[in-house]
Amino acid sequence: MSWFSSRGTGPRKEQQGRVQALAEPDVHRSLALAALFDEIRGRKVQVLDLGPAVGSNVEFLSQFGCKLYIEDLYAALSSRTSSGEGALAGPEFFTEFLAVPDDTRFDVIFAWDLFNYLHRKELAHFAAQLRRHCDRGARLFALMSILKTMPAQPFRFKIQDEQHLIYERRTATERPSPRYAPAEMTDIFKGFRVDRSFLLRHGIQEFLLVKE
Amino acid sequence: MAWKRDDPPAHPEPQSPAAPPRPAAPAAPPAPAPAASPSSSHEAPRRTDRATIGPSIFIKGDLSGEEDLVIEGRVEGKVDLKQNNVTIGKNGKVKADVFGRVVTIEGEVTGNVFAREQAILRQAGAIFGNIQAPRVILEDGSRFKGSIDMEAPKETGAPNRDHRSEPSRVEPHRAEVVGVKAGA
Repeated sequence: MSWFSSRGTGPRKEQQGRVQALAEPDVHRSLALAALFDEIRGRKVQVLDLGPAVGSNVEFLSQFGCKLYIEDLYAALSSRTSSGEGALAGPEFFTEFLAVPDDTRFDVIFAWDLFNYLHRKELAHFAAQLRRHCDRGARLFALMSILKTMPAQPFRFKIQDEQHLIYERRTATERPSPRYAPAEMTDIFKGFRVDRSFLLRHGIQEFLLVKE
Repeated sequence: MAWKRDDPPAHPEPQSPAAPPRPAAPAAPPAPAPAASPSSSHEAPRRTDRATIGPSIFIKGDLSGEEDLVIEGRVEGKVDLKQNNVTIGKNGKVKADVFGRVVTIEGEVTGNVFAREQAILRQAGAIFGNIQAPRVILEDGSRFKGSIDMEAPKETGAPNRDHRSEPSRVEPHRAEVVGVKAGA
């Protein structure tokens, strides 16, 4: 069984791994986030948030006068998995998932840690879909796990301020991490370049990709 | 005082399943509204009246009026109370574009929400559509899929890059829901 097949919310589907108690949310400094907000300050931007709707993030982002799209990727993938469809989501899934008009362009994409929960092929399909909706200069913020294991479900991220993220863990169960290397990210996200990359002490590598 | 918006309704809300759906616009207001003068046409009077669509009521068509509205039933069409507060209660299911001053959602809305002042999505609530409001509150645990434009709606409709919040582009969808007869 691959790490991918453990996607889903049911405990039976989650791989047995190192179990950690659900602790209080951690707050971590985010250098890439700070760089991102520096770039978009004073601009009216269109933002795509691939995480669940988080009220405090909406409130925080409102100060930038942005238009915010919220599309919960993990919920959509979990729903698909639980409905018994094939193991891997194909391009049509991502087209349906991000059902915005063709001329919609995102200036900022918050992918959070969600790419860790996609198989490489899925990630490639999704990257192609995102590429279509990004013009030159669009920025993509992603948090990639570098540890052997990671939580079985994505964190819930809350923007505390321009330099700090609150990590809310949603499950104590762990699963293997795909550990995408920077070179692999660059290969998958063709058309984007790594603008900033920060290796953080808590086992996360932050990426700020920019559309070329 | 009659102008205080948060006053409880003076009369019990019609909740009986047998009762016909009460239109949002009162046919005969109990008392003449003091602010009904022509000078106040832009800012509607703050009435204490509040209409409720009960849980067993299903309305197809457009709703418009000049009083606050609570929807606990099902509505398919368009809810247009730009000057008033609209609440989609916990039992409420709306497939419509919703226009209001403050729009609060505790139930489920499939459609776009346009709030002149504020849109509030409560924890149990869900919106599958777009929100356009100067201020948006999403409580944690709420479900939302769509876009949020926190700029105040422009009366003149400045060009927007995205179809989904552009009133003129939404017309075909509106036409679909408006075309259904009320009470059908």
